[in-house]
Amino acid sequence: MGYVALIPLLPALAFAILTPMSRKARTRAVPLALCAALGSLALSVAAFVSVWPGGHAEEPVWQAGVTLAHVGERAVSLGFQLEPVNALMLLVVTVVGTAVQVYSLGYMHREDRIGWYYAVLSLFTAAMLALVLSDNFLGLFMAWEVMGLCSYLLIGFWHEQEGPRLASIKAFLTTKVGDLGFMLALAVIYAEVGSFDFAAVLHAHTWAPAAATAVALLLLFGAMGKSAQVPLHVWLPDAMAGPTPASALIHAATMVAAGVFLVVRAYPIFEASDTALMWTLGVGLVTALAAGLLACVQHDIKKVLAYSTISQLGFMFIALGAGGATAGLYHLVTHAFFKSLLFLGAGVIIHSAHTQDMREMGGLAKHLPVTTAVFGAGALALAGIVPFSGFWSKDEILTVLLHEGHYVGFALALAAAFVTAFYVSRLWFRVFTGPTQQAELHEAHRSMLAPMVVLAAITAGVGFFGPRLGAFLGHDIPWPELSTAAISTGVAGAGIALGWFVYGRSTAVVNTRALKQRYANLYGVLANKYYFDLTYGYFVIGGYSALSRASAAFDSRVVDGVVNGAAAAWRRTAERGWAFDSTIIDGVVNGTAAIVKEAGASLRKIQSGRVRNYQLLVSGAVVLLVVWILVKGA
Amino acid sequence: MTIGLAHLLTLAAMLFGIGMYGALSRKNAVHVMMSLELMANAVNINLVALSRFLTPDALTGQFFSVFSMVVSAAEIGLGLALVLAIYRRRRTVELDAIDELRG
Amino acid sequence: MDFPLLTVIVFLPLAGAALVALPGNGRPGAARVIAATVAAVDLVLVGWLTLRFDTGAGMQFAEKAAWVPQVGITYHLAVDGMSLAMVALSALLTLLAIVASWKTEKKPAMWFSMLLLLEVGMNGVFVAMDFVLFYVFWELVLVPMYFLIATWGGPRREYAAIKFFLYTLFGSVFMLVGIIALYLQTGTFDILAMAEAGGLAPSFQWWVFAAFFLGFAVKVPVFPLHTWLPDAHVEAPTAASVLLAGILLKMGSYGFLRISLPILPDAARQWSGFLAALAAISIVYGAAVAFAQTDMKKLVAYSSVSHMGFVMLGIASLTPEGLNGAVAVMFSHGVVTGMLFFLVGMVYERTHTRTIAEVSGLSSRVPVAGGLLAFASFASLGLPGLSGFVGEFLSLVGVWSSQIWAGWVVVAAVGVLLAAAYMLWLVQRVVLGGSSPAVETIGDLTKAEIWVLAPLVVLTITVGVYWDSLLRFTDPAVNAVLTLMGGA
Repeated sequence: MGYVALIPLLPALAFAILTPMSRKARTRAVPLALCAALGSLALSVAAFVSVWPGGHAEEPVWQAGVTLAHVGERAVSLGFQLEPVNALMLLVVTVVGTAVQVYSLGYMHREDRIGWYYAVLSLFTAAMLALVLSDNFLGLFMAWEVMGLCSYLLIGFWHEQEGPRLASIKAFLTTKVGDLGFMLALAVIYAEVGSFDFAAVLHAHTWAPAAATAVALLLLFGAMGKSAQVPLHVWLPDAMAGPTPASALIHAATMVAAGVFLVVRAYPIFEASDTALMWTLGVGLVTALAAGLLACVQHDIKKVLAYSTISQLGFMFIALGAGGATAGLYHLVTHAFFKSLLFLGAGVIIHSAHTQDMREMGGLAKHLPVTTAVFGAGALALAGIVPFSGFWSKDEILTVLLHEGHYVGFALALAAAFVTAFYVSRLWFRVFTGPTQQAELHEAHRSMLAPMVVLAAITAGVGFFGPRLGAFLGHDIPWPELSTAAISTGVAGAGIALGWFVYGRSTAVVNTRALKQRYANLYGVLANKYYFDLTYGYFVIGGYSALSRASAAFDSRVVDGVVNGAAAAWRRTAERGWAFDSTIIDGVVNGTAAIVKEAGASLRKIQSGRVRNYQLLVSGAVVLLVVWILVKGA
Repeated sequence: MTIGLAHLLTLAAMLFGIGMYGALSRKNAVHVMMSLELMANAVNINLVALSRFLTPDALTGQFFSVFSMVVSAAEIGLGLALVLAIYRRRRTVELDAIDELRG
Repeated sequence: MDFPLLTVIVFLPLAGAALVALPGNGRPGAARVIAATVAAVDLVLVGWLTLRFDTGAGMQFAEKAAWVPQVGITYHLAVDGMSLAMVALSALLTLLAIVASWKTEKKPAMWFSMLLLLEVGMNGVFVAMDFVLFYVFWELVLVPMYFLIATWGGPRREYAAIKFFLYTLFGSVFMLVGIIALYLQTGTFDILAMAEAGGLAPSFQWWVFAAFFLGFAVKVPVFPLHTWLPDAHVEAPTAASVLLAGILLKMGSYGFLRISLPILPDAARQWSGFLAALAAISIVYGAAVAFAQTDMKKLVAYSSVSHMGFVMLGIASLTPEGLNGAVAVMFSHGVVTGMLFFLVGMVYERTHTRTIAEVSGLSSRVPVAGGLLAFASFASLGLPGLSGFVGEFLSLVGVWSSQIWAGWVVVAAVGVLLAAAYMLWLVQRVVLGGSSPAVETIGDLTKAEIWVLAPLVVLTITVGVYWDSLLRFTDPAVNAVLTLMGGA
């Protein structure tokens, strides 16, 4: 089973080989990255088969690790494990990853930095696979952060332009805000359990409600950053500045789903805390609905899909919060396929129409037949129309909500589903129907269509394997109940119908100015994205910039001012001291010298230099001495 | 009349006085040195006389005066050499003319 | 008697410094070849020391001889894992600094001589186990660094050099008072013996800790005693900046680990809350000020204040995780900030400006320089898989497990985010985008420059991927410290 470790190592190796190369050599070495992706795919299939038929949720079929560090009496280790949940995830990541890499060959072939693109894509794939396979929270976190780096690099791929550059830093920092929660959660876990291993943290340890709530909420915060949940969702729409295939892989199918995966992984902790589950549900509901509404007013086709992704991730959080981890995971899987499909389709459309603005598109169905067909499959899946994959998993989520008695949640989720169907049909009718607005529309190359067809096939078929998949995961994924299915299909149909009513009826170019004027207030709020960006820009970024400038001024004026002030004060003291020293202390010294000098000047007169004078003095002195002795002696 | 200690001491005192007068009054360095010699020999007479009359058994004074005469001879040699050196340099041995150490 | 390896490692550069000065400034070729050779031999010796080092054996390679027996001053050298990591870093960075400043034109013999003299002090501080010896090396470091800044520095070099010298001297005077107080109390100057003996009265410990705190905190530097650092860095030549940030700052934190904690355990426990608070403030404050800087070197300098905050935070935790984290940050900061200073210097040599606004688009014009600068930035902001993460993470985990108020941990964690903010903002402006006029005509890194950076890149990745490559040295040392403290 050791080959499982190779699954993330192959793309990592590709990255390590490609990175130090020159730009030219890298371009030639692109097939290497592709081979690595294919190798991972093959090994993942093998791993999946080896786990099949699954059914054991907790017991890994394979586990291996290395000790990363010895700290005190504890050992921190990193390792991989394989069980049904991540075997499934492996398959999802490698299938989508390989599809995207094949597609990118065509999409990116004119870029002179395609080699770098593939290198980062490989690193990302490696990190995502490592995250999926990790048997502990620390390894998961490390892979999580590396994915953040790759996301940053890919969003800013065209960094010569202002937009991608700003979007990349925004994405990194916003997700990093969430990562703080994750990091603190790790600290709490370590303090509580003394280990990061899933086995120890999730199964061997009994979580007290308070600690569980703390850890779960912190983890949730981390997941919200990565999975772009309100209020940390602002980075994902901007992230669309990156190359479209990268968006398909990272910002639709895999990385953004890592937050959901994290919650699924840590689910025993969440289950120990009702508060955490409630928050998860709340975040999911708010996000699903709020982001869905935003998708309705976007004109950029990629941004519609981005908000749609946020909204669908919200659905997954709803499932997790309602207690249906398997339903959430199921939706993660189906969403990964259909949303990457939609993004790849959007890539073809953008390449062909040379614009991302839907208002400048129309009638593409006639010119791009294959793309239209596969995009249609994805769109129906997203809208939740039977038998496409999204229908099954969304129904599963709705069923869980009903069963657990979350009726308000059920209603809100239905509303979100309605909005979803509406914006999907809006997108569809704007792009594919109506009059053609561009010349020279042409279908993409086969190498780009092939991966899309594969994804479309999966999207169309995967729903029929729901119960089998459930059994594989060790949980129940029943066929949808007829009543729920009827309601959800009805809602989706209504959404599509409304979309057709507004955007699809006329064959002329749609003008919604009248509608916008009638609902000006609502439209203003939506067009400004609920003022999140403005608020963050003004208060967080503006505030921090001001704070940092103030700190810098404080540092140079006050903190350093004290130091320089002390030095100046000391110098003044020294000058005073010098004055004292030179006048008084030195005065005494010099005065003494002056007296001696004066005395010497008067005494020198005695010094005639004549021997006879001295002789006389000596003789006189002797005589005096003798006289003195005689007198004294007497 | 026998010659006693007093005579000898008187002789020495006279000799010393003459020497002292010469040393103070003469300007010529050679004369001054001769006068100094007189004074030194007056001291020698004293030493011998006192030794002879006070401690006749010991010859301390005699030995000391011999020793003193040797030193005087050396001293005169050195003094004359200095005087010669001064003469060569300044063409005079007048002590009053040599006042280099005047302050 | 065994071969006195430590003595040779410490004093070989001294011989080298004399030897380098011999040919005089007129023959730079001879001077730099001798300097590089001596530094390389020293590094090889340190490598040999590392190979022979027994991670299970605690203090080793001890050399002890009477020095001034009348008052019990001994010549006592020894290494444990902590010391070894620092000595290795010092030997490596000195060699790289010499190679990087190969073309120094102003008084080259004196320049290389000063670098080697600096290495004597740096190596000495980390292996001296006698207070007097320690103090001698500690002060010895100031002299060459003073001349390096004052002679080869920027326009305000004299101000910066004097500020650096006086500020750190100010601190070390208090340290000297502490040393004398300890001597009067215990009758020995031997650091290890003093730690073994223990039993000092807590109130006495408190005051001595305060004295040492002033000495070490200035060097680290801890907010608000840090303002000498940016000035010194901005004015110092590249090689001096590298050594200043890479090694000299660590002398302060090393002092806490080697002296304050084991000898004054009760005081350390009393002070830990205060230390953690200062550390957290340093982290956030340094990051905030760094964000506002317009000079690349100053930005990196303030990032040092922030990073050294993590060292202090780890130390304040008094847990194995925290102390290991502290040493890991010390090591990683030496490597990564060394890399950053080298790169800023290399960019400065080409563009003649360090103003961030004037340098942009390095990656499109000079991809190797730009890529390495981005790499170093990511290492600096604590990306997992690179060395910066190891220590920061362990420090945070350690301090959370300790008695320290959790609020400081949250503040410090925010510092991680702020580090990402200023580092990415730097990358954004300098590395990415279209190239600015100053960058338009410059050439990429030369082979020699890449070789200077390569070892640092390798170390960054090695330590980041396999933590035990560093921690297997530091962990026993750290545990020994905690055992001496009587179990925290």
